[in-house]
Amino acid sequence: MTDFLTSVGYGQWILHALIALPVLGAIVVLFGTTANAKRIGLVVAVLEFILSIGLWWAVDTRPGTMQLVAAIPWIPTWGISYRVGIDGISLFMVLLTTMLLPLCVLSSFTYIAKREKAYYALLLLLTTGVLGVFISLDLFVFYVFWELMLIPMYFLIGIWGGTNRLYAAIKFFVFTMAGSLLMLVAILVMVYRIRVVTGVLSFSYEHLLLNAVKVRSWSPWLFGGFGLAFAIKVPIFPFHTWLPDAHVEAPTAGSVMLASVLLKMGIYGFLRFAIPFFPSVALGPDITALVIGLALIGIIYGALVAMVQPDIKKLVAYSSVSHLGFAMLGVWAGSVQSVQGALMVMIGHGFSTGALFFLIGMLYERRHTREISAYGGIARVVPLFSVILMIASLSSIGLPGLNGFIGEFLILLGSFRNHPVAVGLATTGVIFAAAYLLWALQRLIFNRLDKPENSSLRDLTLREVLVMAPLVIGIVWLGLFPGPVLRKMEPATKRYLELADPGIHPIKLFSFADKSK
Amino acid sequence: MQTIDLATAGGATLALLPEVVLTGAALVVLLVLSWRHTTAEDSRLAGYLSLGGVGLSAVALAYLWTADLQPLGLAHMIAVDTFRYAAVAIILIATAATILLSLQYVERERLLAPEYYCLILLAATGMMYLAGATDLIVSFLGLEVMSVAVYVLVGFNRGSVFSAEAALKYFLIGAFASAFLLYGIALIYGATGTTNIMEIGARLGQGNIPVLGALGLGLLLIGFGFKVAAVPFHMWAPDVYDGAPTPITGFMATGVKAAGVIALTRILFDGFSHSIDLWQPVVAALAIASMVLGNLVALSQRSLKRMLAYSSIAHAGYLLTAIWTGSSLGAGATLLYILAYVLTTLATFGILAALGRGGERDVTLDTIAGLGARRPWLAFALSACMLSLLGFPGTLGFIGKWTILMAIVNQAHAALGIILVLTSLVSAGYYLPVIMSMYMKPASATSPEGKMSGAGIAVIVVTVGLLLVFGFWPGPVLGIATNSARVLSGAVPSVNALVR
Repeated sequence: MTDFLTSVGYGQWILHALIALPVLGAIVVLFGTTANAKRIGLVVAVLEFILSIGLWWAVDTRPGTMQLVAAIPWIPTWGISYRVGIDGISLFMVLLTTMLLPLCVLSSFTYIAKREKAYYALLLLLTTGVLGVFISLDLFVFYVFWELMLIPMYFLIGIWGGTNRLYAAIKFFVFTMAGSLLMLVAILVMVYRIRVVTGVLSFSYEHLLLNAVKVRSWSPWLFGGFGLAFAIKVPIFPFHTWLPDAHVEAPTAGSVMLASVLLKMGIYGFLRFAIPFFPSVALGPDITALVIGLALIGIIYGALVAMVQPDIKKLVAYSSVSHLGFAMLGVWAGSVQSVQGALMVMIGHGFSTGALFFLIGMLYERRHTREISAYGGIARVVPLFSVILMIASLSSIGLPGLNGFIGEFLILLGSFRNHPVAVGLATTGVIFAAAYLLWALQRLIFNRLDKPENSSLRDLTLREVLVMAPLVIGIVWLGLFPGPVLRKMEPATKRYLELADPGIHPIKLFSFADKSK
Repeated sequence: MQTIDLATAGGATLALLPEVVLTGAALVVLLVLSWRHTTAEDSRLAGYLSLGGVGLSAVALAYLWTADLQPLGLAHMIAVDTFRYAAVAIILIATAATILLSLQYVERERLLAPEYYCLILLAATGMMYLAGATDLIVSFLGLEVMSVAVYVLVGFNRGSVFSAEAALKYFLIGAFASAFLLYGIALIYGATGTTNIMEIGARLGQGNIPVLGALGLGLLLIGFGFKVAAVPFHMWAPDVYDGAPTPITGFMATGVKAAGVIALTRILFDGFSHSIDLWQPVVAALAIASMVLGNLVALSQRSLKRMLAYSSIAHAGYLLTAIWTGSSLGAGATLLYILAYVLTTLATFGILAALGRGGERDVTLDTIAGLGARRPWLAFALSACMLSLLGFPGTLGFIGKWTILMAIVNQAHAALGIILVLTSLVSAGYYLPVIMSMYMKPASATSPEGKMSGAGIAVIVVTVGLLLVFGFWPGPVLGIATNSARVLSGAVPSVNALVR
């Protein structure tokens, strides 16, 4: 495989192709006919996925550094280049995104009935934005992609969303933009400060990473700028309020993209930028205590709120808050296992929550309600649906043998040494997850089949099975054989941990003035 | 490189070639109008002639720019440098677009008095003098030529009460502003014994500025504050923008503001660079007040024209933050941001002019509901404009804001930058509903929008196209803006300049 890839020069063009293909596809969709929109969209999405598979072999994850790096000068006066690269961390984010894209397109075939051309074009553009965020190695490029991805999502929620879609769309936009604008100032201040010290004006990730330590006195403020943007995206309690609205109102594919990929951009931002740039602040005692505290609140609060939701989609949305709390805990615990666990949670949550949102969308298409109380006993009517829902839920709960377990277990294992109390509290989150999901399952698919309109529900169609099959396979495969993935991640994780060394004197907030250069 | 002696008639004419050509064109238009001033065709003829004049003036400008002229000694009345050329180019773009947009508008609104175009040319000439002046008296003359023409243009819709009210309001407030400016010039002359901007800079030297001069500078700032509609001198703007014919509103928001901001930049940078400590806090206060108030009040507007009026106040605030830096980087940012703002605003007002349906005063968020389905390309263009005004990546507006932020950060300062981005965030609260209304709201039961003229379409295609192209590939405009700004000799040499 590797030989074949080398022979076609795969490494040279793949990253550019992955970014460009969806944009070109979107243009083709827009200029095609409405009837063909979904087919063209699917072809482009599948092509994108097939192209991306080669990355598994083409990216040499062993050194743990950036691979397939390419740079094209963009605005030379400002030291801005279109610089991209990929390592063992971003590899899986990219693969997750490209894998979900065809499923999202396929799942929308009947769900989306109006303005189909625009819908599929926006879905493709969203992919470009997300992939750009994961592979850009220039802060300007990163910022542009980070913001560009907002527009398609804004339209997806605002045009094809539920009843309260306008509110949800603008809330999503404004929350994200609030964070990213402050990040923009932080980027500029950082670049300028480093320019003063080193004499080189560059937005290159490597350059900033290498010299971030030289602007240590500014670190608390800069970390604040970066951290807030990422914290809103994750989202960490108390910045999570946009998430239930956006998730619930978005159309199915939008919810899936949002939950499975967009939320990961927050954690990715911490791992790639905020922590390696400013480890002395980020991993200092104050911020560590704060983040772990908020992560725990997120885990428990998210689970408790999920438990009382009458709307199944909202329940899953709040469960995301809980799951990403685990990921944050893993990142801040800072051991190889816990960080790998966080990465596994990011992938696993992408699979299981994506699957849940797809299933809820399919249910909604049949009955046009998401109220849990409107269902009951449907396992007898739609057995295939119920089995898949069961698998996805059990993965989300963290049943051993399914992929949700791997991530959470690694996090708890890796965090225990330094944060035993936090791990103890976080474990309750797993129990709550079992409670809210199993309870919801009981009310949805078990109990008595007492609503007559439920007795004529159609089971999954072939198309819907095709959407779910890759996710179910992924859930089981990753649960049983996480080894290959973990091995590919490990060098990059170790390299991250080297960068994320808080040093001998981690900066305590509010007392940094005496350390100024 | 070629030196010209501005003291000779030939030299001065050469240096003023774009202005002279444009004035000539205005006179030709006036002459033609003496015979033909009755039908719609006559009006159109005047429009085409004016357009030709703008084209010739652009050719003259291109000649000056490429000839790389150097004044012999001090440029006494008018600058002969790239900063002026860039400003004149922006003003010519605004003028050409305004004329093109007016062609259909004046016919539809039955404003068939062909003097309209002549006045636009004269106003443009005034703007060019204002933007290029190196002498406060020339600044004042330019300002008056511009203002008098614009007063008339604002009130051009004689049948409309609002247009008349707007004209009177603008005239009275404008007279006040001119008085402030003139008195300021007089005081500065009293303090320094000269009205030449460079000489003022030289005479004020390193020492403390005399009280008289400080007072004069303050009055000057008030005068320009009125003209660019900065808070607290903005009260006239919403009513005037609302009442004026839509293409003229666009002309005021772009040309008048651009000329005012550029003149202010030159005066502060070249004349008062040594008093930077004196004017920086004032400019910062004006900027913050404009950004905060303009954005907050714009939130509550339903009418697009009024919303843009308030947002233009906010944009004046952004421009003032660029001036605040006092660095050549800031001057470059001013130019670039003006270009972005002018292109975006012209496109926006062009679209509004197309959307307005004869006689009715304005387009509101409700009337554009569902536009995305009715007129997809128009809706796309308006969305691009809104995102550019918001400063969203992929548009020139983002590059403009980015440059301003770079200039601020380059002064080892972040607070103004943070205020700028936070107020920009507020502006999402009124730019986004426009997009939302077009794409996400069901169509209202109003009659469909009229057909657009070819000229209108051309303006919108070109301006929106440039916005997007330069948004992704800002290299060329960035280079021009940065190089042009470097000539402001008085600009504080930024020791830590990001861009040398």
